[in-house]
Amino acid sequence: MKRRNVLALLGALALGGTTLLRRAFAPFGQEAEAPAMAAVADTMFPGGDGLPAASALGLHDRVLAMSELKTTITTGIAWLDRYAASRGLAGFAALDEPGRLAALDAAFASNEQGIRSFVLALRLQLGLAYYSDPAVKKAFAYTGPPQPDGFADFQEPPA
Amino acid sequence: MSTEANWDVVVVGAGAGGAAAAYGMCRRGLSVLLLDAGPRFDPATDYPLTQADWEAREFPEKPDSVGKVTFAPGEKLTRQEPLLASGSRGIGPMVTDGVRLMEKYHHVRGIGGTTLHFTGEAHRIHPDAMKMNSRFGVAADWPIDYAELEPYYTQAEELVGVAGPQSQGVRWRSRPFPLPPHPLSYAAKTLGRGAKAVGLDWQANSRAALSQAWNGRPPCNYCGACNNGCPRADKGSADLTFIQAALATGRCEIRPNSPAIRIEASRDRVVAVLVGRADGSIERIASPNLVLACGAVETPRLLLASDGLANESGEVGQNFMDTLFTEVGALHPEPQHGRRGLPNDAISWDFNAPDAIPGVVGGCRFYNGAGESELGGLAAFALRAIPGWGRQHAQSVRSLWGHALHVSAIGERLPNRDSRVDLDPTARDRFGMPLARIASSLGELDVARLRFMAKKSHELLAASGASRVYESYSSWDWFYATHVLGTCRMGNDPGSSVVDAFGCSHRWRNLWIADASVFPSSGGGEAPALTIHALALRTAERIRER
Repeated sequence: MKRRNVLALLGALALGGTTLLRRAFAPFGQEAEAPAMAAVADTMFPGGDGLPAASALGLHDRVLAMSELKTTITTGIAWLDRYAASRGLAGFAALDEPGRLAALDAAFASNEQGIRSFVLALRLQLGLAYYSDPAVKKAFAYTGPPQPDGFADFQEPPA
Repeated sequence: MSTEANWDVVVVGAGAGGAAAAYGMCRRGLSVLLLDAGPRFDPATDYPLTQADWEAREFPEKPDSVGKVTFAPGEKLTRQEPLLASGSRGIGPMVTDGVRLMEKYHHVRGIGGTTLHFTGEAHRIHPDAMKMNSRFGVAADWPIDYAELEPYYTQAEELVGVAGPQSQGVRWRSRPFPLPPHPLSYAAKTLGRGAKAVGLDWQANSRAALSQAWNGRPPCNYCGACNNGCPRADKGSADLTFIQAALATGRCEIRPNSPAIRIEASRDRVVAVLVGRADGSIERIASPNLVLACGAVETPRLLLASDGLANESGEVGQNFMDTLFTEVGALHPEPQHGRRGLPNDAISWDFNAPDAIPGVVGGCRFYNGAGESELGGLAAFALRAIPGWGRQHAQSVRSLWGHALHVSAIGERLPNRDSRVDLDPTARDRFGMPLARIASSLGELDVARLRFMAKKSHELLAASGASRVYESYSSWDWFYATHVLGTCRMGNDPGSSVVDAFGCSHRWRNLWIADASVFPSSGGGEAPALTIHALALRTAERIRER
């Protein structure tokens, strides 16, 4: 992925940039956070209209396996769970969809250290993986690789 | 290890300048050893554009293909510049600490150099932009004029197979472009209607990409991914053009992975170049003639690291000029799918002359920027163009994918004393050679030109129907240079320049420079590769005459 897509995060996170989608990730074991992460993934990228939800693609597990995000994720999920607890619920995963969206909006607006960058990091990592997944791309026109065919219709209106 | 002089000339750097110089000398009967710090690239195997994860890939990195540089601190951004601040609606601002981000300059070490990665625009410099000092009181004049360069432009265009329009105005031609222009893409035609509405001429760009088969290479199939490396070999990178032609003479030997780390000189001549080897040892190669073509960052680095060789004027490393650019993306009501087609296929030269921008010295040019926007893939679009998340985000991605249009501009970058390349006082490479350190500072005229470029880009997009701007980037707050120029300026005065009008050192009789470091001024946004080729061919001819 091109660098301008990740630059906004560099001040807050030590991310790898261009090779994020191809790296082999070493799991660091956050099983307890998996349900919350799946809920975050599906709130951000819920699918529908023929598209799969992010968790159905296993993207929450891929993000959980990114060791460089361990601290960020732990901090962020704890914040979301506290948000839910303040509303009498067991955790973020127990919120309904409007509640989850409100929680993410609140996290994004938070001044607490690491919370906004947590949301940005998940949006970036989940979003890159989601919209690069073949199951998602096939629902969109002109998402295939440039070669070997190129674009014979380049002068015409899109098909 | 020491190697005797088995060649007439040693060329350091196998990019746009070194490759053309090598070819120019070989075709005139000289034997050449062509060195490069980087590896060979194989278009068929190194540019995997058939794979599903293509959008996550940049130009491939191989061992030693990426050189290291350091940067002086970026400038403090003391004013608000709403049109120039880099960022997107989806990702946010790129710079949040008020300091210009010194990120990178695009440089590929390898056989073919940065032409392996370049878009492949093939531009001749505006004749008036070669006389910036005498005409406009800024920068320096070129010691040659357009007419002296024109025959070499023609030679280079012929070998590369440049496709271009019948006329480019003041850039008069002794021969037509060898190939007809590429047809405009659908997105470029949409922008063309906007350009017409705001009074801009919008024409086919001249491109080092084949519109028809040429010299055994196939025509372009408009995949839009020139910057990732061209696996079809229709892009006119130096490895496929000048180097192939040089090898065909039987008088050129190529050595990849051979970084030059020092030059030895005696009396008034260069005598040898020291070259690093893979095992860490150093080879001394005797050099009857030495041509440096490492680019505007590495050439001054090598000279300065050689006890300031050829720096009698104190100008080595000075007058550094980086890419002055703006790029604006907006959403059109109708799908465009601008990744289809040749990047930078359409261009406006209306403001390219040095006096064309009202009240600002130095020109610029505008072009269809879809191909260079790094937005070809769905993921980048979803994250940059559409803010937020959730179902509303997904619906917007679905309804707006393919609606992006981009207008980019590149302008004259004036040299100043705060923009230079010198040696980093501490950082060194594995051979102990100091790294180049880049300092860049924009002048008032540069910022004024950037404002004009951004404003006009917004106007062009809006007139094209794309008024929902979702991202803009500029070199005001982001050093992200594709063209780097200056640092070993050519001129007639040994006191204010490094080389003469033929690229020969004023002091050292067999030391030549054949790359963009010799440019006294940047031009009004023209891509420099073709001018580098032309200058190098002219230098090669001079070396043969000597």
